[in-house]
Amino acid sequence: MRYSAVLVDHFLNPRNAGLMRDPDGVGEDEYEGCGDLARFYLRVRNGRAVELRFQTYGCGPTIAAASAVSELVAGRAVEDMVNLKAEEVERALDGLPDDRKHAADVVAGAVRAAALDYLRRRDTDV
Amino acid sequence: MSRRVYLDHNASTPVHPEVLAEMLPYFSDVFGNPSSVHAFGRAAREAVDVARERIARFLSVRPEEVVFTSGGTESDNFAVKGLALARGRGHLITSRIEHHAVLRTCEALESQGFDVTYLPVDDQGRLDPDDVKRAIRPDTIAISVMHANSEVGTIQPIAEIGAIAREHGVPLHIDAVQTFGKVPIDVDAMGLGLMSFSGHKIYGPKGVAALYIRRGTKMLAIQHGGEHERRRRAGTENTAGIVGFGKAVEVRAREMAAEATRLSALRDRLWEGIRARVPDCRLNAELAPRLPGTANIVFRHVESESIVLGLDLKGIAVSAGSACTSGNVEPSYVLVAMGVPVEWAMGAVRFSLGRSTTAEDIDYVVDAIEPIVRKLRDASPARRAVAPA
Repeated sequence: MRYSAVLVDHFLNPRNAGLMRDPDGVGEDEYEGCGDLARFYLRVRNGRAVELRFQTYGCGPTIAAASAVSELVAGRAVEDMVNLKAEEVERALDGLPDDRKHAADVVAGAVRAAALDYLRRRDTDV
Repeated sequence: MSRRVYLDHNASTPVHPEVLAEMLPYFSDVFGNPSSVHAFGRAAREAVDVARERIARFLSVRPEEVVFTSGGTESDNFAVKGLALARGRGHLITSRIEHHAVLRTCEALESQGFDVTYLPVDDQGRLDPDDVKRAIRPDTIAISVMHANSEVGTIQPIAEIGAIAREHGVPLHIDAVQTFGKVPIDVDAMGLGLMSFSGHKIYGPKGVAALYIRRGTKMLAIQHGGEHERRRRAGTENTAGIVGFGKAVEVRAREMAAEATRLSALRDRLWEGIRARVPDCRLNAELAPRLPGTANIVFRHVESESIVLGLDLKGIAVSAGSACTSGNVEPSYVLVAMGVPVEWAMGAVRFSLGRSTTAEDIDYVVDAIEPIVRKLRDASPARRAVAPA
């Protein structure tokens, strides 16, 4: 199998998949090369992401990456999430084949976008 | 993993045990070069001749009209380039849904000054023979179309196209890689000038195929060297492969009719099972005459590769209509040519059944696919409009 056991587990049993009502932040990213799409929703309390939900359209690794990152960054300060790197996502999956690195890129991009959206809303509200 | 189900027979098939048994001596005991004059060579030559005669008998053609090659791609290249280069210039007719072995060859010929017309197909993947007729010009030198499409299984009206080709004196080449040994082929009734067909799609070995060339067809060799295959295809014959190809054809002659009936029923069982369990899916080319064992099904709102991965993890091998390679994914050009919307085409999965496929396999696949598609859809933003809030 070219994918890690962690990746396969997240693909088969995605955690936190689906919509979120009235999120505090939402963001998405798309990988133009193949049309893979990830969207993240955040519920934030005291500056930390207490709940994440995601939707993805794409190949198996993208779905697995979204699931893995939804657990990885849960509880993290949103201000830190804007710096989430694709490498960290890839590590959470125990690696990705070279031709699937974009899965980590698109998912990290979506999480950053959701975090930025939250910060924008917060700053606008103030 | 409790069960393994291989439903990718259009990609390749396992070597039939009888074929393997017949091939084995030709790797070690009968290893001579068929071109050698000594006894070792003569034994190999005899084996090649027997295989050629078996195939010729199956097709009701002359043995010297069968040229062995290294694969379907070489046969297609040989047919299309051989016809074109023998004429030097002119116009070729093909379709938009050909295998890349024909499409890329035509494109290469265009770069050398040939004109090519790429005919459209309808929503079932069918060519209109009248389009072929209309496309013929005074300088048309060849028509090359596939007998059945490998992705969706649509069988083309070759006899009608052949009649048009014959009427205009234009040689017709068909790529029969997906049909040879699966559905009846009558080279005379279909008006064929040339036909590509391969071993590993019919439980023979990989690395061996053939091109039927009707006697009298003006051709140029595209591979040069020795005087093998009556100076039409240079290179030492793949004796063991050719022996296996010949045996595979003999076995197919015995099994083809019953297998076609059995596989058609299983193919329909698969589609009926999936349709009953999975909403928002459709069978491509449902209304066209199709290969007995091929079903191309699209699942809306999901990308086919993720379905393929999900099925793979259940021990089921199928093929994705859209392949993500190096971060680039394109919907199948065949489905696009058929007018299938891109959002559907991205979720196309090909199931191709074969000798080993059982009704229990089909039921296992139907049971496996429903939760896989459901989970993927639950996570898919493409389904936003219909997902529960």
